Amino acid sequence: MPERVNTNMGGATAALDYDAELMLRVKDGDGASFAALLEKHRSPVVHFLYRMVQQQAVAEELAQEVFLRVYRSRGTYEPTAKFTTWLFRIATHLALNALRDGKNERNQERLDERSEDMPAVQVEDRRPSVEQSMVRQATLDEVRRAVAALPDKQRAAVLMHKYKEMEYTQIAKILNCSESAVKSLLFRAYETLRARLAHMA
Amino acid sequence: MTCPMETRENAEILMAYSSRALDASDAKLLEAHLQSCSRCREFVSAQRAVWEAMDGWEAPAVSADFDRRLYARMEREVSWWQRMRGRIGLLLVYRALPVTAVAALVVVGVLLERPSPLRAPLQPATTTAQVEGLQPEQVVRALDEMEVLDQFNHMMKPESSAPRM
Repeated sequence: MPERVNTNMGGATAALDYDAELMLRVKDGDGASFAALLEKHRSPVVHFLYRMVQQQAVAEELAQEVFLRVYRSRGTYEPTAKFTTWLFRIATHLALNALRDGKNERNQERLDERSEDMPAVQVEDRRPSVEQSMVRQATLDEVRRAVAALPDKQRAAVLMHKYKEMEYTQIAKILNCSESAVKSLLFRAYETLRARLAHMA
Repeated sequence: MTCPMETRENAEILMAYSSRALDASDAKLLEAHLQSCSRCREFVSAQRAVWEAMDGWEAPAVSADFDRRLYARMEREVSWWQRMRGRIGLLLVYRALPVTAVAALVVVGVLLERPSPLRAPLQPATTTAQVEGLQPEQVVRALDEMEVLDQFNHMMKPESSAPRM
């Protein structure tokens, strides 16, 4: 739960989340506040982008662009929305553009080499048997394929709902659509996923 | 309780229940409905299977050099901007001096050429105006008249100079 502070801005008192407060300090030239924001949001942003594009190197490249844009925008930043809404709006925009441009396909060869050794570290940590590892890997591949097969916007909505536990209103702001449109996106997306993954129950 | 499967909006209740996000009182009502509704039981079972499968999908750790690369890019951007600003500044200094000098000369020239209200108006040059007002036809006619007069004088002179008889 983000810490909330009250900040007086030009006579009007506005409730800001702590991240927005940090961003205002970045605006005033405080590099340490930017480092704090980066530390807090680096993994959530990279993980979201990874699940969107399913290529670790592309995800990190896009995440770098997200934080660069945050840094570039510091001068004009106004805390009109929750900081994470703004941050994930940038991230989603970049991910949807990358998917549209087929950027991840161009980097497929190089990225496959990197992505192969990433899950191996996780598997090794849990020390499962060879058979368990294979079953788990097969399950993960199926999940990845099922999520990848979703239309881009449905995918973004599901990933924010499932992994970031965002509410419909926040997802709606990020995707720039109505709350009912988000509900519809999620309903259709989960319907597709249930059809593909329900046999795992 | 009406079956949540009947409308899309109510299916949200089932999704919330599947993720154990439904509050206790609503969950109790739904559980009572689930006892008698196989469709809803299937929905919850399938939805939980999806969420559990997705839970197992962990994203890889972020590269250790992520921050270093990001700060390097930020530094490059800042350096680029500083270089550009420096160049623009130098350009302005080198370009601005001659341009300012020329502009100042032009302004001074315009001020000097502009008729001052304090200065007395020039008297018109009447002679010049008369000369400038002559047309070539007038000059030719005047010359012709002078020639006619000369001829007349010439004709009259022998008679007047002849000895009287």
